[in-house]
Amino acid sequence: MIKLGVLRTYYGWLALALAASIVLPLVVGVFWVHVLIEILIMGLFATSFNLLFGYMGQLSFGQAAYYGIGAYTTALMITKASIPLPLCMMASVLMAGICALIFGYFCVRLTGIYFAILTMAFGQLVFYIIFQWYGFTGGDNGIQGIPAPPLLQNVYVYYYFTLLLVIAALIVMWFITNSPFGYTMRAIRDNSDRTRFIGINIRKYMLVNFVISGMFAGLSGSLWAPFNRSIAPDLANWAHSGIPVFMAVIGGPLGFFGPLVGSVVYTFLSAFVTGFTEYWPIVIGVIIIFIVLFLPGGILGTLQQKTHPVETNNPNNKKKETR
Amino acid sequence: MASRPILQVIELKKAFGGLQAISNVSYQMEYGELSAIIGPNGAGKSTFFNLITAYHASDSGKIYFKGEDITGLPPHVISRLGIARAFQVSNIYPTLTTYENVRQAVLSQQKKTLNFFTPANRLAKSATMEILESCGLAEQGKVIAGTLSQGDKKRLELAIALGNQPELLFLDEPTAGMSGEETMETMELVQRLNRERNLTILFTEHDISVVFGFARRVTVLHQGELIADGTPAEVRASEKAQKVYLGEEA
Repeated sequence: MIKLGVLRTYYGWLALALAASIVLPLVVGVFWVHVLIEILIMGLFATSFNLLFGYMGQLSFGQAAYYGIGAYTTALMITKASIPLPLCMMASVLMAGICALIFGYFCVRLTGIYFAILTMAFGQLVFYIIFQWYGFTGGDNGIQGIPAPPLLQNVYVYYYFTLLLVIAALIVMWFITNSPFGYTMRAIRDNSDRTRFIGINIRKYMLVNFVISGMFAGLSGSLWAPFNRSIAPDLANWAHSGIPVFMAVIGGPLGFFGPLVGSVVYTFLSAFVTGFTEYWPIVIGVIIIFIVLFLPGGILGTLQQKTHPVETNNPNNKKKETR
Repeated sequence: MASRPILQVIELKKAFGGLQAISNVSYQMEYGELSAIIGPNGAGKSTFFNLITAYHASDSGKIYFKGEDITGLPPHVISRLGIARAFQVSNIYPTLTTYENVRQAVLSQQKKTLNFFTPANRLAKSATMEILESCGLAEQGKVIAGTLSQGDKKRLELAIALGNQPELLFLDEPTAGMSGEETMETMELVQRLNRERNLTILFTEHDISVVFGFARRVTVLHQGELIADGTPAEVRASEKAQKVYLGEEA
């Protein structure tokens, strides 16, 4: 038996989640293995989004563009040129990064609602290009029959392949968010004005972060294409940009693993609820309302506040005030 | 031959709408000065700071730092050159800890902010702790900065500015909202920084006794114009200064 004390620590939970992610597919049915893969891919997508939202304090409403670019790059390279999947993935990450660099150059000039609108506008631009370009992207027909490499055609193998890549990507993002660069992002989120006055070119840093975020979104899209075997322009549409927003809000944007927790909740519920009602959006709507009203900070944020309250006003202050 | 001034401001002008906030101000600072700018509310003290640190762009005039023309450079470049400022209303990172607030400035000064893979908590430790200690904030290191008391927030404001290891430091009312004792502690720290690190400091302050107790040179600003400039004794003796400003205090 695991001692419950372990669960009081961050690393205890992490080890438990890791163990579950390894064992779960072996004990649940094939349908749920598909759901688990989706949880991982969308979790990666939502975590990439959260580099902008939770760490930089800007709401992107066009993150699906980079996901879509990743998915289409991989799908097109496989179906048109039979290029090996690892190369497709690298190209997807690169393409998403290049597009993020071009669009981000304009987006980081704005903040708040204007940032959100501009990211959305660029996102819709990508969507309509994919949607209309029948000769290349298949337009609204999408792309069907994207084969995974023979080795990965077994859904269990694809699951562990995805797990490995997502963990690797999460480790890289974890390091980035805890690096001086990551703290510079928090500084920009907290007080961008002040940050300029300690010698930081905030636009440049925001752009770098925008590109990093876009690249990881591209990777998640690239994982999706051979898994789902078919893709459609909707992957780049603004409604799809809303999903990582939901996930980050559900799980909690201020913790690194919040969006991942959000993906577990959202994707699981989506699969579970659609099993017996077609009114899934109502269910997620109610959940979002509940979380926003009663759990500000999301599931993870609320748990953390309960178990490890942040150190606030310490006794020293009171001493000084009464002196 | 006299050494080059650390700061030289020539005929600086700035208007907001119809209000001439700074009209034709020329000002110069030598290395190692501890000086104050005083003046009634709305005299243009904060605007003067904002122009030199590029918070606002000036309408005309030139600003030289160590002989180099810095007019029109963006704030982050000016900051990198060695000019730091503390704001009148404390301007900190409310969700970061006190330690992380200061470390951010130190990391920036050490040019480590484009490091993506070293955990930030392994870097800039000693420089950050040293600043926290000198500002009397060592014990508050782990406290979330947004929950600090007003006095501590102002102290942190100063500590962040020091994190940049500046050569020239602007302090906009560094003791605003502090108790009498806290004010003395802070001003003694400012004096120590000036003496021990040879940091050139210009501060504004509305408490006249603080100004005359600590500044070695006092400049009086009134309606955007310099009307007196000299040692505390000279300014006290200046009729113009007495009339517009000191008169109401005496």
